[in-house]
Amino acid sequence: MNATFAIAGATFGEAVRKRILMVILLVALLIILISPAFEPFAAGRGARTLIISFGFGVIQLAGTFIAIIMCTGMIPTEIERRTIYTILSKPVQRYQFVLGKFFGAVGTLGFMYLMMGIVFMIASRMALGELEPKIVRGLIMFFFQSSLLAAVVLFFSTFVSPLVNYFLSGGVFLLGNLLSSFLETIQRNPEVTPITRIPVQLLTVILPNFANFNVQNPIINPEQVLTDEFAYLVQTLAYAVVYIALLLVASMLIFNQREM
Amino acid sequence: MSDLAIKTVNLTKRYSGLWSKQPVDAVKNLNLEVHRGEIFGFLGPNGAGKTTTIKVLLGIIYPTEGEAYVLGKPAGDPKNHYRISYLPENPYFYDFMTGREILTFYAKLFGIPEPQRSKRVNELLDRVGLSRAADQPLRTYSKGMQQRIGLAQCLINDPELLILDEPTAGLDPIAHIDIRDMILDLRDQGKTLFISSHQLSDVERVCDRVAILNKGVMVQLGRIEELLAGGHVEVIADKVPDNAVEPIRQLGGKVSLHDGRLIVEQPDNGSVDRVIDIVRAAGGHIISVKPYRRSLEDLFVETIQGGKNA
Ligand SMILES: Nc1ncnc2c1ncn2[C@@H]1O[C@H](COP(=O)(O)OP(=O)(O)O)[C@@H](O)[C@H]1O
Ligand SMILES: [Mg+2]
Repeated sequence: MNATFAIAGATFGEAVRKRILMVILLVALLIILISPAFEPFAAGRGARTLIISFGFGVIQLAGTFIAIIMCTGMIPTEIERRTIYTILSKPVQRYQFVLGKFFGAVGTLGFMYLMMGIVFMIASRMALGELEPKIVRGLIMFFFQSSLLAAVVLFFSTFVSPLVNYFLSGGVFLLGNLLSSFLETIQRNPEVTPITRIPVQLLTVILPNFANFNVQNPIINPEQVLTDEFAYLVQTLAYAVVYIALLLVASMLIFNQREM
Repeated sequence: MSDLAIKTVNLTKRYSGLWSKQPVDAVKNLNLEVHRGEIFGFLGPNGAGKTTTIKVLLGIIYPTEGEAYVLGKPAGDPKNHYRISYLPENPYFYDFMTGREILTFYAKLFGIPEPQRSKRVNELLDRVGLSRAADQPLRTYSKGMQQRIGLAQCLINDPELLILDEPTAGLDPIAHIDIRDMILDLRDQGKTLFISSHQLSDVERVCDRVAILNKGVMVQLGRIEELLAGGHVEVIADKVPDNAVEPIRQLGGKVSLHDGRLIVEQPDNGSVDRVIDIVRAAGGHIISVKPYRRSLEDLFVETIQGGKNA
């Protein structure tokens, strides 16, 4: 466990020194900070929805970019620079290396979300005059969404090059966001034959469902009414944890066979 | 307990090139036995398969055929790595960390707890002469300083076996000597060292035994003295008359005479006295008598080129 955390720590240290990630974070912070300036464009309830929705949109976008950019190179760069040789020649199991990398990525995301969350709360509090309780829940949801995405990227990085990984994980993220509502639409349409429906159904089940995490955003999901918010939160987070665990196990199995 | 630090049995590593390339046997049927306490030189030109063999020993890559054992256990068992250490070829470390941070990081990988960890790191920084640069980031380090960090990183666990891949490559002469002194130091402590190199003069002075690898195949193996047996003594003399040459020729060796200057390369030490007697009796002056040991370089070139012609 010691080794895993040492690797996670080094991964975090390296990520927060990466200029591109810091630029994304700073730009996001800046946009969130000035977002209350949009308030005059909408009145009453509308202003509230707009500010919250916009802030979440920026945070989710930043989290997505950070997760993908940070994780595509995580393992390939270690191999290319050969820093992994000295690590694996120490008493470190390969699964510990993968786990350390993932924890480092999640730690970095946690740090980024904390920064963005604090600024978001301050900015929206100033604009709305009160703290919107949805914000904390939303931040948690999007943080787990980004963590799940990080696990997807890390999984692909054990066997494809960073460039291919951008497209693969970008594609999985998009599909994972859209498929469930697409499936709903075609299920309502009686003209769609099972030959079309079943593959979509299959993909929806297999690919990670990223849409689950978006419910806190009132603009993306206006008609969503949750009867039991807390149960939904727990259920969605549990889904993320299980899916991440499966991805990590698969990554470890592939990485174990890998030659460097 | 096995007295072998390293053993390979018919070890073959094949890189199955991509569709366009032929598969390459980077290492072919290698049978290697390195004894505990020995300094073993693993030599060969670039591309001979040295690094490939070392990576197999560390479990970074897996054998295609055959077996590899380190300290009596199958190669690559991480539990075994408490007792060994590795300095890669042209090592590279996280350069955003300082010297102290990187050594602390490796110490954590061994699970060394505080306060021993800080103590150990300070000792090592001192030992490799980096105490003053300890808190600078590695990206400001010179190549020689990086190599010292590499060595310090190797010593954290006080290993029984050190595997050093081209430890002196690309270093300036001073850094060269430093590294050599450290190797000798480690030998005195009874460590086993497995050192790969294509620079032979370094290895010649420190190794007990060497193997020479060429195109993945072991072409020489033995103690340095045995492999280098058979040098010659060079005798140079002046004012030697032509008629003295014939009796010297009869003793064997290479003989040349130009304008009274005689140069003899005599492989047999016993005949050197006779050469000198003949020169003096003929009225010549001995200028120098110099023994030439065969160098590892000679052997290397002979072996590798011999292999090419065959
Ligand atoms: N990952 C790899 N894929 C394909 N071929 C490789 C790989 N690594 C090394 N080789 C080939 O294997 C041979 C031995 O390389 P190497 O072990 O690095 O030699 P050395 O360390 O003695 O210079 C070379 O022909 C090299 O091109
Ligand atoms: Mg090499």
